[in-house]
Amino acid sequence: TLLSENNVGQQLHRLPQKHVSVYTTGLRRFSSASTQQKPPEVQLTESCVKRLGEIMGKGDYLRIHVEGGGCSGFQYKFSVDNNKNEDDRVFEQGGVGIIVDQDSLEFVKGATLDFSQELIRSTFLVLKNPQADHGCSCGSSFSVKL
Amino acid sequence: VSKRKLLPTRAALTLTPAAVNKIRFLLQNKPEYIGLKVGVRTRGCNGMTYTLDYTKEKGNSDEEVLQDGVRVFIEKKAQLTLLGTEMDFVESKLSSEFVFNNPNIKGTCGCGESFNI
Repeated sequence: TLLSENNVGQQLHRLPQKHVSVYTTGLRRFSSASTQQKPPEVQLTESCVKRLGEIMGKGDYLRIHVEGGGCSGFQYKFSVDNNKNEDDRVFEQGGVGIIVDQDSLEFVKGATLDFSQELIRSTFLVLKNPQADHGCSCGSSFSVKL
Repeated sequence: VSKRKLLPTRAALTLTPAAVNKIRFLLQNKPEYIGLKVGVRTRGCNGMTYTLDYTKEKGNSDEEVLQDGVRVFIEKKAQLTLLGTEMDFVESKLSSEFVFNNPNIKGTCGCGESFNI
């Protein structure tokens, strides 16, 4: 009986510890969500932030829109927009912002937006898109990973 | 018939004023480069794509195009492909690029980067 009492004591001792750990992870999750420390679903590179800062007026956002088309099934469309619709998500970084609507976001989640500058062309590009399988050489069109 | 003028041989590549201005701007602070070199490379979903680089010297078999004070060299491999092409520079808020209006091509990729002959 002494042994069992001891066991119970240990269990009792463990139980609150478990509770504490569950509580703290819950707290951590909660606090990270509230302070936006989770990386944004669409990230911008430095050159992208810089370029957007140069071309965008006040209240202007770069909108990324994914539509069917292009040689690989889907393609990215970029435009300048200054209204936000209800289903839009805004990602801000370094004082500039981009807008992605909810449907398009499904296709660009986890991607990085870059402004690539080459001699022959300089343009916005979606890089490292985990949703895209392989794309066209120019990067404007892509197929979706199934 | 005797009054018929001899037409000057057409340049292999013509540049639009926008392209001339841009090339001039690109080269103005780079005295080590004498011009740009245009080439083609097998790449992309439609067979070929254009390349553009600074160049320090004229290659042996490069075709030289001199227009309004800017020099563009065409790689040997690209000469037949590019014959009669107009090189333009298109600039918008979101992108800027050199565009090649090539009469020889049969089709292009959606984005226009890749083409076939």
